[in-house]
Amino acid sequence: MSARPRNDHHCAAGSRRHVTSLLLIATALVGLAASAVGALVTQRLRIQLVSVLTIAACSGGLAVAIEVLRSGRSVVVHTHLLLPLVGFSLDLDRFGALFVAVSAGVAICAMVFRLGYHGHGLSSRTASCVLPLFVTTLLLVPAASSVTTFLFLWELMAIASLLLVLADHRHRSEVAVAAVWYAVMTQAGAAALLVGLVLLSTHAGSQSFSAIADHSAHLPAWVRSTVFVLAVIGFGSKAGMVPLHVWLPRAHPEAPGPVSALMSAAMVNLGVYGIVRLGDGLLGGGPTWWWLMVMALGALSALYGSLHSATSTDLKRLLAYSTTDNVGLMLLGVGASGLFASTGHPALALAALAAALLHMVFHAVFKGSLFLSAGSLQQATGIRDLDRLGGLLGRMPVTGTLFMVGALTIAALPPLCGFVSEWLLLQAMLHGLPSLDPSLAIALPLGVGVLALTGGLTALTFVKAVGIGLLGRARSEPVALAGEVPRSMWIGAGIPAALCLVFGVAPLLVIPAVVEAARTVTASRLPNPFVGGWQVGLSGIHGVLAPGLLAAALTVAVTLVAGIRRALQRSALRSTEAWGCGRELQTARMEYTATSFGEPLSRVFEDVLSPSHDLDISHVAESRYYVEAATFHTSLEDAFERHGFRPAAAALAWWGGLARRVPNGSVHRYLAFGLIALVVVLVVLG
Amino acid sequence: MYLSTMRLSTLIRRWRTHPTDIPLAGTASPAVGEAARRNRGSLQLRHVDAGSCNGCELEIASIFSPVFDAERFGIRLEASPRHVDGLLVTGPVTRNMADPLRKTLDAVPRPRVVVAVGDCARNCGVFAGAYGVEGSVADVVPVDVEISGCPPDPATIITALRGLAGT
Repeated sequence: MSARPRNDHHCAAGSRRHVTSLLLIATALVGLAASAVGALVTQRLRIQLVSVLTIAACSGGLAVAIEVLRSGRSVVVHTHLLLPLVGFSLDLDRFGALFVAVSAGVAICAMVFRLGYHGHGLSSRTASCVLPLFVTTLLLVPAASSVTTFLFLWELMAIASLLLVLADHRHRSEVAVAAVWYAVMTQAGAAALLVGLVLLSTHAGSQSFSAIADHSAHLPAWVRSTVFVLAVIGFGSKAGMVPLHVWLPRAHPEAPGPVSALMSAAMVNLGVYGIVRLGDGLLGGGPTWWWLMVMALGALSALYGSLHSATSTDLKRLLAYSTTDNVGLMLLGVGASGLFASTGHPALALAALAAALLHMVFHAVFKGSLFLSAGSLQQATGIRDLDRLGGLLGRMPVTGTLFMVGALTIAALPPLCGFVSEWLLLQAMLHGLPSLDPSLAIALPLGVGVLALTGGLTALTFVKAVGIGLLGRARSEPVALAGEVPRSMWIGAGIPAALCLVFGVAPLLVIPAVVEAARTVTASRLPNPFVGGWQVGLSGIHGVLAPGLLAAALTVAVTLVAGIRRALQRSALRSTEAWGCGRELQTARMEYTATSFGEPLSRVFEDVLSPSHDLDISHVAESRYYVEAATFHTSLEDAFERHGFRPAAAALAWWGGLARRVPNGSVHRYLAFGLIALVVVLVVLG
Repeated sequence: MYLSTMRLSTLIRRWRTHPTDIPLAGTASPAVGEAARRNRGSLQLRHVDAGSCNGCELEIASIFSPVFDAERFGIRLEASPRHVDGLLVTGPVTRNMADPLRKTLDAVPRPRVVVAVGDCARNCGVFAGAYGVEGSVADVVPVDVEISGCPPDPATIITALRGLAGT
């Protein structure tokens, strides 16, 4: 095993890089040790030991990533111990380090949360063994610097996450269905990646990323385009990009709380990582149509995801669709960046990429807080269906507040961090508008429109999630009896919630690192494009934002309004029952539900969402004027799943059924096959 | 029949001369004076039929007809008790309507007035002692103004309500 710095100019710097390399190796080893501990130790000690070791590994990863982001010196590790013949090589640059830092941060929160989380099969031996492995691969994938290493880690990550989704398969049959969808989609994506990367490395004559990056400009255009399209398919399926997202709203909700947080806040980012690394880094940018395709897919994901999350009634499914939505926004930024680069606006390209990466970081922060607090709500009530939740803010004030902070952040309200990244994304696209290039003139206004519509739908979604889930009265027995969750779960979900506010007020803690990461991957020579001081903006775009001032102004405004309201309030508040036309029996079941909240929207977008209703009324035998029982069932299936993937799966099953008739057990038939094969071979060779 | 036998010109003449037809009664109770000051020419009411024979309803309907047109005094009927200054209750309070009446009153923001319209609302009238009757309106909720008559004629109702509206 060798940990060598790439160029030793300074002895001190060199030794420091040895330290970071060793720290990266230690991170991986501690992660693997945690995995071994999970497999070997008895159940009583397992949760604590595994969590502590994984947190240690993540802290190591976070330290390495921060050091790389700070100094800009990449960490290189090459070893022949793993993966014989080709070796296992890691090279963590600033771009990768950004993703490692995000994954490590999310994983630390998830593991702290995990200390209090029980149930959902996460304490089993398999799950305890696989969880640290999954976290370790999340930390190492962005560092991989050769095709084989990357594919090896990528596959390991896919399989580990698949096993974690399956954790609760003994108790709920839906888990197995979700896992099959996930397995098929992720393996199909991995196959596309395998073909693409093998094609790339054969034509570039090397499988090391740096060598590919050097050669890629000389590759034939069809190779570059094929590789890019395959990569968009492969990475897009992992990122939950429409139309390859169908596994995501199934697998993320069925996974245990900390795992869904890890998948949604850290793993999907790696899909975006792959597209940027390959498109901007290894291939060094490409023609306009590549990026128009990425933008179109991003816009589709953003719209489709936000529409579905606005009409979902399952809390975690809603969050999963909103992940698709946010990945769409990131891809929109990435696509806009590529488009700017290909039409000769490098400054805008850098600004758009930085905005997209910033949104990735902030999405991880708020989605981590949302998924973890949703995990707490689920643990306390055992229910994910918003139509049966309600009134949880009073019963679980801490968890409820944390969820609410996440919801306000994702709705992009100042002074929280979601506002900053969406603002920068919007600015980057708006400032490309005066350009005369036709592709920009068409794509950017549409992108801005998508961003605006998505923002509105997201606000609607989280008004629903908070209003129906946390406010009002409890709609079912378990919710009425729910109590607060253990303190470690508060801390796990509380760290990202606190970061929502911190990064919202002081985004400059993150923006320089993000901009450096964007410069690294595009090998940009442009000066550091962010406006410093207390203002936020990216050079190349003119608008600036002062988040600190904004927060101060908001605090003053809120205090003023609250003070005036208190001063004007003449009599004491009196709370009475909701007005129900004076009817005697008024229960919490008559409250407004999430289904009713989303109904107008699902009616407006009926063609896209195609909701199905089933009303079954049975009459009394004596007279059909009297109803004996009425059942109403409504469901909102994914249109891509129903019209695309299900028919495809049915066709495959039919094809497989045909093939199964061929080997029918008859020895004569097999001998005939052998004879035919022999004849064919002879004919071909002759 | 009142309206149908009347010719349009008569109707218009009556409408124009109306304000003098309805005398403004003195506001004896201090609660009424206070309500008049508070409402300042706008009195929004929710009507609750607590078990009436619908005689009082006919008269209440006719005060909003073109003939009497109570709206010119700022008196209006509202659909939701959340938006009103008081309740207009008719009929003896039946057992089935006692709770809904209490709930409706609970839904009215304070300060508010309760007007019992008709003899049944005041003292159960001819229904007193019937098996389904809980009692008069005052037995169920506190009453501020009572309007007598079986049914009270529109002019009487308007007079009482004008006292509350302060017009």
